[in-house]
Amino acid sequence: MNEDVDMKDGAGLDDGAAGLDAQGAAAIMQEAGERARRELRVSHPVIFIAAGVAWLLGYGAIWLSVRGQHPYQGPAPEAAVIQVVLVGFAVAIAASIISRATSGVGGLSMVQRRVSILAFASGIVAVLVLEAAIDHAGASRSVVFGVYQAAAPVLVAGVVYAVNSAVRLNWTLLGLGLWLIAVAAGGAFAGPVGVWAVTALAGGLGYLLMAALGPALDRHR
Amino acid sequence: MSEDELDPVIHAPARLRIVVTLAALPDGDNLSFTRLQDLIGLTPGNLITHLRKLDDAGYVRMEKSGSGVNGTTSVSLTREGRGALDRYTTVLRDLLDQAGSAPPR
Repeated sequence: MNEDVDMKDGAGLDDGAAGLDAQGAAAIMQEAGERARRELRVSHPVIFIAAGVAWLLGYGAIWLSVRGQHPYQGPAPEAAVIQVVLVGFAVAIAASIISRATSGVGGLSMVQRRVSILAFASGIVAVLVLEAAIDHAGASRSVVFGVYQAAAPVLVAGVVYAVNSAVRLNWTLLGLGLWLIAVAAGGAFAGPVGVWAVTALAGGLGYLLMAALGPALDRHR
Repeated sequence: MSEDELDPVIHAPARLRIVVTLAALPDGDNLSFTRLQDLIGLTPGNLITHLRKLDDAGYVRMEKSGSGVNGTTSVSLTREGRGALDRYTTVLRDLLDQAGSAPPR
């Protein structure tokens, strides 16, 4: 949009200062501040709820598909598709909320967001490449398509959240990041089938818990 | 203490809204002219007039990138602007305390 604006209608402007008393100024400050915070801040609870539901149902679908496999084969293609669609849905919701709140906002936050996306995408690509390498090296399906495939992306997400929390001093993200790191590390001990259930429940509920607690934690920022 | 002690550059409804809105951004961030206009609800001409007053006082920084139809202007609060808003808020709190009213948050 062309922002080379015409200044003519502002010429000779009465700025209204003469009629502004202290109470009026306080009311303007409160109203403008609340509106700016409401419009410009990213609403994390909705993003966390979408992610929590996607994790619960997506990882849950995979757990249902591997439950009872003897020997372990790995997630059924239909379950993997369900997970990808749900994660895609959660990502689309997050992108929409972030895009609306940050429209027209530039500077340091924009750079931080781009670096975070790059770090997360690089981590996920590295997880996939490593998975192929471990498979190529002869590891069992239980390890490659069970423990590793379930836990490694969770570890990447947890580390990215935790590092981001340091940059933004966001305690919600720190709590979520540390929780996901614990879920990835601890869930791996549940074995190739159990790790999907642990990730679905602990990861999904972690997101939902953060959606509930986040606003209270962020007030202390 | 009287209202004369309030910074006259900030103490106008539109400029107060502009400064408070820009102060809601983290340090190092800026806002496009059009988004600021959406949030404040002024015509482009009125907004630029108020921004120029704030710019002249060193309270905001306006940066243009591109030109013609693709040109964009971004606005940010300077360190001086943030300090001026802090001082304005302090004076306003004192005035409201004197009058027994609720201070701004």
